[in-house]
Amino acid sequence: MRDLLPKSLLGQMLLSVAFALLVAQTLSAVLLYRAEEQRREAGLINALAFQLVADPRLDYRGFAHEGDGADSPGRGWRRLRIERALASPIVHGELRDAGREEELREVLAEQGIATAELVVLSRPIHSDAFIMRGLRGRPRWRGEGRWDPRGEMLVAGLRREGEEQWHVARQPLPGDMPRALGSLIFQTLVLYVVLVGGLAVLLRRITRPLAALKARVEQFAETRATDGQIEPTGPADMRRLIAAHNAMEARIAALIDEKDVMLGAIGHDLKTPLAALRVRIESVEDEVERARMAASIEDITRSLDDILSLARVGRPTDPLERTELAALVASVVEEYEDMGEPVELAETQRIATPLRATWMRRALRNLVGNALRYGGSAKVSVLREPGAEGNGWALVRIEDEGPGIADAEIVHMLEPFVRGEASRNRETGGAGLGLTLARAIAEQHGGTLLLANRRGAGGKIAGLVAELRLPLPR
Amino acid sequence: MAGPGNRTGEPGAISLLLVDDEASLREPLADYLIRQGFAVMQAHDAAKARALLIETMPDLVLLDIMMPGEDGLSLCRHLIESKNLPVIFLTARGEATDRIVGLEIGADDYVVKPFEPRELVARIRSVLRRAARAPSAPQQDALYEFEGWQLDPLKRKLTDPEATVVPISSAEYRLLRAFLDHPRQVLDRDRLLDMVQGREAHLFDRAVDNQVSRLRRKLEDDSRAAKLIQTVWGGGYRLAADVRRLSPTPDTGA
Repeated sequence: MRDLLPKSLLGQMLLSVAFALLVAQTLSAVLLYRAEEQRREAGLINALAFQLVADPRLDYRGFAHEGDGADSPGRGWRRLRIERALASPIVHGELRDAGREEELREVLAEQGIATAELVVLSRPIHSDAFIMRGLRGRPRWRGEGRWDPRGEMLVAGLRREGEEQWHVARQPLPGDMPRALGSLIFQTLVLYVVLVGGLAVLLRRITRPLAALKARVEQFAETRATDGQIEPTGPADMRRLIAAHNAMEARIAALIDEKDVMLGAIGHDLKTPLAALRVRIESVEDEVERARMAASIEDITRSLDDILSLARVGRPTDPLERTELAALVASVVEEYEDMGEPVELAETQRIATPLRATWMRRALRNLVGNALRYGGSAKVSVLREPGAEGNGWALVRIEDEGPGIADAEIVHMLEPFVRGEASRNRETGGAGLGLTLARAIAEQHGGTLLLANRRGAGGKIAGLVAELRLPLPR
Repeated sequence: MAGPGNRTGEPGAISLLLVDDEASLREPLADYLIRQGFAVMQAHDAAKARALLIETMPDLVLLDIMMPGEDGLSLCRHLIESKNLPVIFLTARGEATDRIVGLEIGADDYVVKPFEPRELVARIRSVLRRAARAPSAPQQDALYEFEGWQLDPLKRKLTDPEATVVPISSAEYRLLRAFLDHPRQVLDRDRLLDMVQGREAHLFDRAVDNQVSRLRRKLEDDSRAAKLIQTVWGGGYRLAADVRRLSPTPDTGA
């Protein structure tokens, strides 16, 4: 049910306006219908009362010669309606209408007529012998449509105080639906077209710039470039919002540009003296000392590179290129192999996927380097993993056989400047950015990085596993 | 220091022009290179370098990219177009795109600061060796094509028949390049070692066989019946494919 409701602003507003309109119209329809009902009911009762009251006593005389009084329509009309009978008009099996009887009694009392007995009931016109006889005698009546034999009628019988005779009045009941209801439905439809249509036009003027702004925000979040800004359109509030957004975009872009310039300057200003230092230590005679100095410089350089890369990882300048991931992983593994490190390339599958090889190589180096440094060995595999939506993932697993990481600490390992067991491994170098950078690179490719302890038999930690997942296209 | 100028090493030594605005790096580096047996001229900016080049022609130019005034890229274009001099960039920026730009305008190599001085010397020698061996520069950039595969020597990029990039190490690159330059010839291990010798000397302590098997794996060659790189009985390898050279990519300014 929830899925059927419109998600957009336009849809939701139109729906709520339409609903409110429907409720309002229904209420007024009910009120109108009830007023109409009351009016009709009062009219019926009054018509019956009028016949009973207005019946001239004179007509007593004419009662015996009913058949020859037909020359005058007024008399005939009255004569047909008012029947004089010696008994109550109620036939066995018919029900008295107590509500109408009461109303009629009141009306008659107001006219000063003392009622001895009063009966009101409704019956089908075709089963009323008096009317049917009249219809047969005067076919013209049928043309008036009031006495349709298929309809219903009210019959009221009155015996006055002190009289033996009954006066019986008859009144056809009108059809069920009052005409007002039809016009009410028509009115509602017109209102719908005018109000909802007009509102839709108005809302579109608001929601169109909103939709454009939403698309723009999404684009900016991805590219962080100010080109392709939207023109302020729509109502004044929308224009101001769009103009403010454009200003904010420009500010953010300027900040990012400043950051890039600053980082470039830092990189340049630190790397040049480092290079000078690196050249100068070549004149150090003590070879052990020289090697230590070189290692220190390398450490500083690596930290500096990590910091600069982390700052730039969100805005890569190189394009994605369809690359064979297994070959990339293999080349990183082989680098470590050549340095004599205990690294093993396990199962691999050839997977071609768009990626930035220089960045990805860096992430893989960090992960393999970490496994070797803290876990003593690295086993790397490349697998294809089916995804929920059919696209699937490329999974690079790096396993080590080290002590793992305490479960409470594992989530913090991906944060910047956090090192596993900091005090003990201080001398192993790095700014503690390796995993942070690896994760940022995975995210740059739309992927994820997960760290988990590998449990052996009996639930003991058998090592750490890093899982780098990259989304596969299509 | 009154001004950078000529410093001669041994007579007949290889002469270098070192252009860098940072005296703190330039001077110790010049000293180091002189100790290594080179003759070194120094310039603190592009203007000074141009002035020095009117008087003498060095064998190779070491060039900083970020300098006040005319930058290294612009000077490099001048050096290559009008002087045809080999150039090695010294750059503080390590991003891949920066390197490609330097190589694309025709530099022979690049070294990222801070570099190991010994590595710089190795690269100088390697560039000079290549310059002596292959005087026709444009041919250097031409793509190799074999069996649907392509190798871009400028970007050191290998692509398979489906245009997927297959990353290879620099050792594998040099090995493949040796095979591609000598298609259908038997190359024995010593010859291969000789041809792929580069800066990472430790790589070549490993058996050539190991490098060949890695290269085969990258070329999906280990699973094929007719192998691209065949083992020749008696010790050696042969590329069993024809190689075409395609004209370099249009954006290469040479």
